[in-house]
Amino acid sequence: MAKSDPEFLARLDRESREAEKRFIGNIAHRLGRPAAGPAPVHPYRGAPDFWASYELGTEEKIGRFMDNWRAAGGYPERIASMSGVPEVIARIAKERQARSTIRQNLPELASLQLESVLPELSHHAWNGRDHEGSLNICEQADVGIVLADHAAAYTGTIVVASSADKGRSVSLLPNVLIAVIPAERMYTRLGEAMSRVASIPAERFPAGVHFISGPSRSSDIENDLTIGVHGPGAAYALIVG
Amino acid sequence: MSKPQGSNVKERARTALQDEFLIDAVKFTTERLKNGKKAATAEHGNWEEWRERGRQIRAHTVAHLDYYLSRFIENARAQGVHVHFAPEGKDAARIAMDIAKHRGAKSVVKSKSMVSEEVHINEAFEQIGIESIESDLGEYIIQLANEPPSHIIIPAIHKNRRQIAELLSKEAGETLPPETQVLAGFARRKLRDKFLEADIGLTGCNFGIAETGTVVIFENEGNARMVSTVPKIQITLMGMERLIPTWDDLEVMATLLPRSATGQKMTMYMSGITGPKRTEDGDGPEEMHVIIVDNGRSLQLGDPDFQELLNCIRCGACLNACPVYRHIGGHSYPGTYSGPIGAVLTPALNKNAEEWHDIANASSLCGACYEACPVKIPLHDMLVYLRNRKVERGVTAPGEKMAMRGFKMLMGSHAWFERAVKAGQLGQKLLVRGGVIKSRIGPLGGWTAYRHIPALPKKSFREQWTKVTAEAENSFKPMTDEMKSRMEKIVQSRAKGGH
Repeated sequence: MAKSDPEFLARLDRESREAEKRFIGNIAHRLGRPAAGPAPVHPYRGAPDFWASYELGTEEKIGRFMDNWRAAGGYPERIASMSGVPEVIARIAKERQARSTIRQNLPELASLQLESVLPELSHHAWNGRDHEGSLNICEQADVGIVLADHAAAYTGTIVVASSADKGRSVSLLPNVLIAVIPAERMYTRLGEAMSRVASIPAERFPAGVHFISGPSRSSDIENDLTIGVHGPGAAYALIVG
Repeated sequence: MSKPQGSNVKERARTALQDEFLIDAVKFTTERLKNGKKAATAEHGNWEEWRERGRQIRAHTVAHLDYYLSRFIENARAQGVHVHFAPEGKDAARIAMDIAKHRGAKSVVKSKSMVSEEVHINEAFEQIGIESIESDLGEYIIQLANEPPSHIIIPAIHKNRRQIAELLSKEAGETLPPETQVLAGFARRKLRDKFLEADIGLTGCNFGIAETGTVVIFENEGNARMVSTVPKIQITLMGMERLIPTWDDLEVMATLLPRSATGQKMTMYMSGITGPKRTEDGDGPEEMHVIIVDNGRSLQLGDPDFQELLNCIRCGACLNACPVYRHIGGHSYPGTYSGPIGAVLTPALNKNAEEWHDIANASSLCGACYEACPVKIPLHDMLVYLRNRKVERGVTAPGEKMAMRGFKMLMGSHAWFERAVKAGQLGQKLLVRGGVIKSRIGPLGGWTAYRHIPALPKKSFREQWTKVTAEAENSFKPMTDEMKSRMEKIVQSRAKGGH
C-alpha cells in the first residue's frame, strides 16, 4: 500500500469543512434553529442520582469483581503483595505451556523479574518505537501481561489505556492475558473509572482506552459459547493487596 | 445479497414459516436473549430509573444534535481524525472507496456495523477489486453464505451448525466437523491472517462521545479491537445520531446496552478510540477517518411522531420481545433492520413509505417492543402513525380503499345497511357449513386461511332490538316487601360501619 499522502488528506479536509456547513446546517434547520445552537443545559448528565452513593467496601469490591470475572469465564486470583505475583505468573505460564511473554513496558512489571523466575521462556517488553517488531512479537507471544489502569467491581471490568509503553496488542493478540490489578485501583462503579479517563487533558488523551471484562467470546454458532474467538481465550485477573 | 423470495412481507413470512430450523432457532435464541435480559435487569435493580435516564440522555442529545455533533467533530479533528460527511448512503461508500483507491489498498477487514449494511460497503469495495472481509464470527458466516444479517446482535441466528460447517469447509478446502470449537478455531486462524494482511480496518460506532471526540465500540469477540489496532488505516462509519455528550453518560449506555442486547453486565470489550495512534505509540492506525452518515436520519428530526426513533441504541431487545419477529425471523423484513425497530426505521430512512408500506403491518401493536426498549421508544405508537400516514397518502390497496368507501356508504344510511344485512343473510347460504364459513374465496381468504367466520344470525341485532326492549320493559319487577326489608338491613349495617 502507498504511503499516507498529506496533499490528498488536505483536499479531503477542505471538502469536509464545506460539507460540514451544509450537514450541520440541515440538522439545525430540521430542529427549527437558524444555525447550530449554543451549549445547551444538560440536566441529565450521567447515571441516575441514587447510583452516585452506591459504594462497596474494599473486601466487598474485590469479592464482587472476582465473582464477575469468574462468571464471565475468566480466572481471578487474590495475591497479598506484588512480591507474590511472579510465582503466580510462573505457575500460569507452566500450566499453559507458554514459551514467551510480552508485557507493557512499565517499571511495576519489569520489577517482577520474570526473566529470572522463568528463565526457560523468552520475555519481551513492548517497544513503541519498533512498530512491526513489537506487533510480531505480540502475535507470537503466548502470554500478554498488563497492569490495569483502573478496575470496576460492579461489572468486573479492567481498564487499559494505550501509550508508547502500553501497546494495545499486549492485551489482545496473545492467547493468555494476565492483568495485574493493584487493589487501590479498584472502584465500585464503572462510572468512577470513566470519569478518571475523562479527566485526562486532551493533549495527553490516550488513543485507545480498552475496558476488558473477561476472555474473548462468541455465541454465533447455534448459541454455543466459544472462548478465545479473536482475543485471548484465557483471562487471568491478579488482584494485588 | 440473497434474501428469501417474495416481494412483500406476507410472502417472505410464508417462506420463513416453512423453514422449521429457522423457526426453532429464532425462537430459541430470542428466548435466550430475552431471559438473559430479564435476569440481568432484575439483578441490577432500579431498571426503570436507568431506562428513564437513558431516554433523557438520548432525547436531549438528539434535540441538540447540531451542537453535540459539532463538538464531536471539533474534538475528533483536534486528535487528528479526518471527518467526512455522507448525506446519502452512496456518499459514504464513495468516500471510503476514495480513501482505499488513493492508497492502493488491497484488502479491508470489517467489524460489525449496521450502517455499513445500510450503505452496501462490501459491494462497493468488491466492485473496485478490494477484498472486504467481515470479522465478527456471525457476520463472517453469513458473508460466506452471501446473505444479509437476520438479527441485529446474532446475525447468523438462522444457520445451523451443519450449514456453518459446510460453508467453512468450502473456505478451508477440507471437511471440517460440525463442532463449535473446531469451526471457531478455523475462523480464528483464517481471520488472524486477514487482520495482519489488511490495509484498512473498517468499524461501526456504538457511541460517539462529544466531549472528547471518542468512538466507542462494544463487542465480545475482540475483532473490533483487531480491526482498530492492526491495519494502518481505520475507517469508522457512524450514524449521525450516535452521540452522547460525555463519558459520564457512557456509564448509562454501558448499563443499558449489554444488558438489553445479550443479558450481559458488560460486553467483554468496550473500546474508546480517540484519534489515530500517537506518534510514539507502537500500534493503532496511522490514519483515522470517521464518516458521519445521514442517509434519511435527518428526516426524523423535528418530526413529532418519529424524532424519538433516533434515540435507538441498536440493542435488538425489541426483536427478541416481538411475537411477530419471533415467528417470521429477520429476513422477512425488507431493508437492513428487522423486527419492530426495522418496521419503523426502514420506511423512515427510505423516505418512500409507499414502497415499504407493508412492513408496518407486520406487528400486532401489542407494545412488547416498548416495554423491552432500554430508551423507551414508543415503537408501537410509531407503527400506528406509519399506517395512518400510509392511509393519508392514499397508498392503501385498491380493494381496501373500495371496501372502506363501501363501509362509509352503508354506515351513513340505515336503509342501505339493512339491505346489506339482508343480502348477507341470503348470500351466505352458499358458504355456511355447520354454522361457520370456511371458504377461502375472495377477500375472505386472508381470514379463513387460519380460522372460521361465524355465520350471520337469521335475525340481526337491529331486527331483534324492538323485541328485546319490549321484553325488558315487561320483565321489570317492582320491589317486594321481602326485598325492601333486606335492603333496609344492608343500609343500617353500613351506617354502623359494616359492609
